[in-house]
Amino acid sequence: MNGAKPISHWRLLAKVNRMQNWRRLKSAVVRSRLHASLMGLFVVGYAWMAYWLFHKGLQFTSGFPGLGPVLIERMMFLLFAFLFLLLLLSNVIINFTNLFRNKETQFLLSLPVPRQVVYRWKVFESGILASWAFLFLIAPLVAAYGAIYNAPWHFYLVTPLFVALFVVLPAILGSWAALGLARWVDRLAFQVAVVLAVIVLIVVASSWLQPETVTDEMLETRVLDVVDRLLARTRFSLFPFLPSYWVSSGITQWVEGALMGTFFFGLVLLSHTLFFGYLASTRTGGIFYGAVSAVNSRGGGTAVGWKFWKHKPALGQTAFAPRLLDRLAKLMWWGRGDTRALIVKDIRTFWRDATQWGQSLILLGLLIAYIVNLRHFSHRLTSDFWIDLTSYLNLGACALNLATLTTRFVFPQISLEGKRIWIIGMAPLGMRRTLMAKFLFSTAVSMGVTMALVGASCAMLSIPPGRVLYFTLTIGVMAFTLNALAVGLGAVYPNFREDNPSKIVSGFGGTLCLVLSFIYIVGMLSLMAATSRWAFGGSSAVEFWLGWAVFLGGSFLLGWLPLRAGIRKMASVEI
Amino acid sequence: MIEIDQLTKQFGDLRAVADISLTVPAGEFFVILGPNAAGKTTTIKVMAGLMKPTSGSVRICGFDISASPIEARRRMAYVPDFPFLYDKLTPTEFFQFTGKLFGMEDGAMQAEAERLTGRFNLGEFLAKPIEDLSHGTKQRVAIVSALMHSPEVVVFDEPMVGLDPHHTRVLKDILREQAAAGVTVFVSTHQLSVAEEMADRIGIMHQGRLVAVGSHEELQAANRDNTLESIFLALTTDNA
Repeated sequence: MNGAKPISHWRLLAKVNRMQNWRRLKSAVVRSRLHASLMGLFVVGYAWMAYWLFHKGLQFTSGFPGLGPVLIERMMFLLFAFLFLLLLLSNVIINFTNLFRNKETQFLLSLPVPRQVVYRWKVFESGILASWAFLFLIAPLVAAYGAIYNAPWHFYLVTPLFVALFVVLPAILGSWAALGLARWVDRLAFQVAVVLAVIVLIVVASSWLQPETVTDEMLETRVLDVVDRLLARTRFSLFPFLPSYWVSSGITQWVEGALMGTFFFGLVLLSHTLFFGYLASTRTGGIFYGAVSAVNSRGGGTAVGWKFWKHKPALGQTAFAPRLLDRLAKLMWWGRGDTRALIVKDIRTFWRDATQWGQSLILLGLLIAYIVNLRHFSHRLTSDFWIDLTSYLNLGACALNLATLTTRFVFPQISLEGKRIWIIGMAPLGMRRTLMAKFLFSTAVSMGVTMALVGASCAMLSIPPGRVLYFTLTIGVMAFTLNALAVGLGAVYPNFREDNPSKIVSGFGGTLCLVLSFIYIVGMLSLMAATSRWAFGGSSAVEFWLGWAVFLGGSFLLGWLPLRAGIRKMASVEI
Repeated sequence: MIEIDQLTKQFGDLRAVADISLTVPAGEFFVILGPNAAGKTTTIKVMAGLMKPTSGSVRICGFDISASPIEARRRMAYVPDFPFLYDKLTPTEFFQFTGKLFGMEDGAMQAEAERLTGRFNLGEFLAKPIEDLSHGTKQRVAIVSALMHSPEVVVFDEPMVGLDPHHTRVLKDILREQAAAGVTVFVSTHQLSVAEEMADRIGIMHQGRLVAVGSHEELQAANRDNTLESIFLALTTDNA
């Protein structure tokens, strides 16, 4: 042993992880050049298409006389404000997994590596994992913004610098929140907190999203006042203590040529990043270790104050006595016992991993808040065009939300069985029925939720019952296809080595599932709108039924083919 | 040397380790036995610094694992029951990584890695990605990486799991040699034969308590029994 030699732990960790990731990428390319090319094509295609769309949108908005620049500027502030919130949420979840449920973290903590270094490394890693996708998504928008205002070349150098400084703050704050959650909140308390947070979110968002009343007279005489009132709901993004305000101000002022303003906001951002970065990289190791120890020590115990939630068997009741979920499962009298057991197991494992479903519940909460508020809009939507457009957009929003959920939760189902898949594989249940059980269960649940949401949104828009049926049937068919696609591709591209569902989803299969789902939704939505009997000019009965036939046929094929491929793959899987 | 002083570890309502005190001097081969959930792995995790003790302390070569973790771990080799390895690295690259974390010079690292990989017959696997290795081979890689830096204290949790008889023998020999060279060896196992054959002293844990400590002969004398198995069963079977 040579203890005198100074070691750069950070450099060693960076080298090892760089080698790991590079080899992972290389092996993915070698395994299938077609897959890698498709991924590359998707990346380039998205960047190009998003840039084109954003450019068109911004050009359209900038065309409003007097209002355009105001609206665009506010959009930039809103973009970064929501980006900050999303990054914060994403960092909390990824840091929690990476700091406390990661085998590498435990390994490093058993070596002579300072806790501070382990913490710093993991926060850095989580920050990249949490941020890259968001940055990739918004990059075309920022580029289009620069192009619309003919920004100088150095705009495209300064903006990445601003954004790089900006993403550090949610990464650090997210890691601190994860430390707090790990240290003080156990699983059950976290589940309750997430559900309460979503209820609060629905109530707050419902009240916040209520539209302003604007009369024709006001539009003619007091335009600025009306715009000001309309923008009042977005004023939170101008709160000067928000990091998103500093980055938005810096970027917008650079475009306007106010370089000193940019310099000022750049320094504000830099000073905060350095301050919080200093605290995180030098003063948080001890707290991190305390939180790791708390998580490792939690075991079967429950935090004080939450014990009343714990299931306590009644006197004389055995550990095998059926619980609520088992009793509910028995109500599915038509299903076989082994299939019911599989579904009960899936529900239990899903419910007990609150970090996974919490984020989607928030998405769903926002959607519910939006739909609840549609009743306010419907009073003001006097034109059929706007009602039709809103109803189709609602259908699209629900379908996109569903696609996110199926990719995020249904796709990794087979992979999550992991090395335990032999239990199911060896059981008389068989892989075919396992897959079908997972598919039917997820389809039934998602059909129920999305059909109810679409039905509710139609009711809020006071749409005639025939059209309500049309929209709910459409989302029902889409639920079938999206679930079949996710289950099928999840079985075709399983990853039995990974325990973390977010990492399983970020692989090739997950990306393909999301891309195919989105293409399917956009394509079918366009088809349904174009062949609608009443909307956008209306079409003939032949066109209408032809549209439905193509929709049903296409949906069936896109769902059934991957499902069949998945069943075949599972029949010959080697673990 | 390992000094455990009145160590208690509580998991909510459950007392996983209850007021254990134990000193394992340098050069001693100590084997800890116990039924499942007796508290062996928890004790080892506290010794490795992966958990804070609820009360009491653990000192490795005089360094408190909570107060001076780096100094303590620098002197220790720890292999858990399910060791972590970087799956895309080769064993050679993994040894270089862990060797550097322990501050080893390149020359010493290479010499020690060659010596240990030779004994564990890892030569043909050194350039293969770890993900392609069998469970037992991965276990051997983890053991070599832990022993490479010439530790003063060795703490292994179920190290024989996954090893074939030949490599189990190799590991036993190496651990015996380490103890003879003055290294403190602390091993948790369910294999009573390992304790009988190798241990200078044996500890038996049950329900978080250290219910017996001593050499095989001392345990036999104290319990008026001949075999370690019958002593073990007598001490760890509840007659409720």
